[in-house]
Amino acid sequence: MDLWINLILNGLSTGFLLFLLAVGLSFIFGLMHVLNFAHGGIFAWGAYMGIWTYSKTGSFGLGVLAAIVIGAVLGWLLERWLIRPIYSNHMQQILLTLGVMIVLGELIKVFWGPNQLSAQPPSFLQGSWSWGDVVVIKYRLLIILTGILVFTCAQIILKHTKVGLIVRAGVENPEMVQALGIQIRRVFTIVFMVGAGLAGLAGVLMGPYSGVIYAEMGMEYAIFAFIVVVIGGMGSIPGTLVAALLVGVTSGLMSYFVPDLALAVNMMIMFLVLIVKPEGLFQVKGVSQ
Amino acid sequence: MSLLRVKNKYALLATILILAVLGSIPYMTDSRSTLIFFSQIFIFAVFAMSYDLLLGYTGIISFGHAMFFGLGAYITGICLREGERDLVTVGLAVLLVIGICTVISIIVGSMTLRLQSHYFAMLTLAIAGLVQVGAEKWRSLTHGNDGFTFRIPLEFMDRETFFWLSLSFLVLTYILLQKFIQTPVGKVLQAVRDNEKRASALGYQVLFYKVVASVLAGVFAGLAGVLYALQLRFVSTSVLGVDLTMNVLLMTIIGGVGTLIGPIIGAFLVESAHDGLSNLSEIHWIFERWLILFGLVYILVVLFFPKGIIGTIQQMRMKRISKAAQSKPPIQKEQASWNTQI
Repeated sequence: MDLWINLILNGLSTGFLLFLLAVGLSFIFGLMHVLNFAHGGIFAWGAYMGIWTYSKTGSFGLGVLAAIVIGAVLGWLLERWLIRPIYSNHMQQILLTLGVMIVLGELIKVFWGPNQLSAQPPSFLQGSWSWGDVVVIKYRLLIILTGILVFTCAQIILKHTKVGLIVRAGVENPEMVQALGIQIRRVFTIVFMVGAGLAGLAGVLMGPYSGVIYAEMGMEYAIFAFIVVVIGGMGSIPGTLVAALLVGVTSGLMSYFVPDLALAVNMMIMFLVLIVKPEGLFQVKGVSQ
Repeated sequence: MSLLRVKNKYALLATILILAVLGSIPYMTDSRSTLIFFSQIFIFAVFAMSYDLLLGYTGIISFGHAMFFGLGAYITGICLREGERDLVTVGLAVLLVIGICTVISIIVGSMTLRLQSHYFAMLTLAIAGLVQVGAEKWRSLTHGNDGFTFRIPLEFMDRETFFWLSLSFLVLTYILLQKFIQTPVGKVLQAVRDNEKRASALGYQVLFYKVVASVLAGVFAGLAGVLYALQLRFVSTSVLGVDLTMNVLLMTIIGGVGTLIGPIIGAFLVESAHDGLSNLSEIHWIFERWLILFGLVYILVVLFFPKGIIGTIQQMRMKRISKAAQSKPPIQKEQASWNTQI
């Protein structure tokens, strides 16, 4: 029983990390129908920038801040200068963002070298609490709390503020929102930056979680993020959360019992969802399939 | 009509000229590395053409195309490692590659090609990633990232013979694919690319045609993989990687999507640039990261010249022709566009 609690707790922390990574991807697609293949690259940049700042200044908080900022800046550059000219052309977008992904990964190798770097949680987050055989690692608890916080904030902003109202209306019908005199393009940019910033946050949190960061981590975790958004349904935040936790817990359990099949099982879940309910578990009205 | 015929005459002349130049290479140089270099270009040109069948002729973006190439390479390697070192084994490997690539593209295609382009691109990326991870885990068969060497039949040992083999493979593939895109099936594929909804409304089973395209592309990519393995005499999991798909994407896009000659030119340019830049890495370490330069070029091409070199030239020529023939009604057919219309 204790083993199960431990495994599920670990799975949940992986799940919340995946949620932070995937929520931007999902929401950007829901709002502007752009599938950002470079999202994983932004995630890896967040990890490197955050860990680098942390190792230079010694302050983990500054590292997290740097990761969010670099994510948002990269998101802004990408949206404003590369994606905006080709909003109407899906094929160009897909090809372009994959190219950006490769360039971002290579740039990491230019700045920080091709070898992996190690990352340790700050001293006040090292160690764990234990009750009997149940072990709660402090750092994982931090990830879970951050995930819950981001989810709650996102829900409050979306459901209870004017900005949230505009964004939700934009998901359903962007032309109509524009016709009402609201600069939907600006909303697009802001959402893109927030999503990219969250990817950066996921990146820096990922560093100490897995112990090492490497340039290819972007592509690797992007695949997980894709699985999550497909299962959860594009554009749905609760859907992304449920799917991320599902994928996280499944990976956690599988990598304990049958480690070689961890990724395969998640792919199976994704295929099952695609065949049975191709729009994902939580479909959002207005997001075309 | 006369304009078209003149254009074809030039094209024919150019083809003969290019073939003559390529064919004289073995007589001009004895350098093994030059021969290997050109064989490699021919192999990648076939790979890129197979990719363009998807991207340029059917309007499908697949990020998992290297999977077929890698399968071809691995099947060849494993057959030659386990079996006799003769032409029969290679023949068997070729048959296996054709069979396995067909089955996999049918299964994957019929499951995923019904999805919207975003989902399809994402899924192919994920499937290819899974296959690569699988190959790395299954070390007893693939030897993982370290790969394994194997001995090839004596007939292929000579680099000059191999040069001729890969050149004829390229020419043959070009002719076959050129014929294919002019068949009714090929025309339907282009109709699907230009306007999927309309093609479907006209009663064509779009999914069926897309699967046909993906099978054909998969098989040719697999065959290119066979030759690649024979040339390198070594396989590792890098033949399955997204980097390789990216490379072939670059060749296709730079050369020109929606043409067959474009990917060939693209393969030549990318491979030469790769070769040149790798040599430059002794001068400055930045050249070791040549992928960055390629990535930047690729982004610029996608943004500003989405039709690639050949497509842009064609476009300019079309403009000139229509300007010259302004008095007469223009006979240009609609410029092929690889944009999906939504």
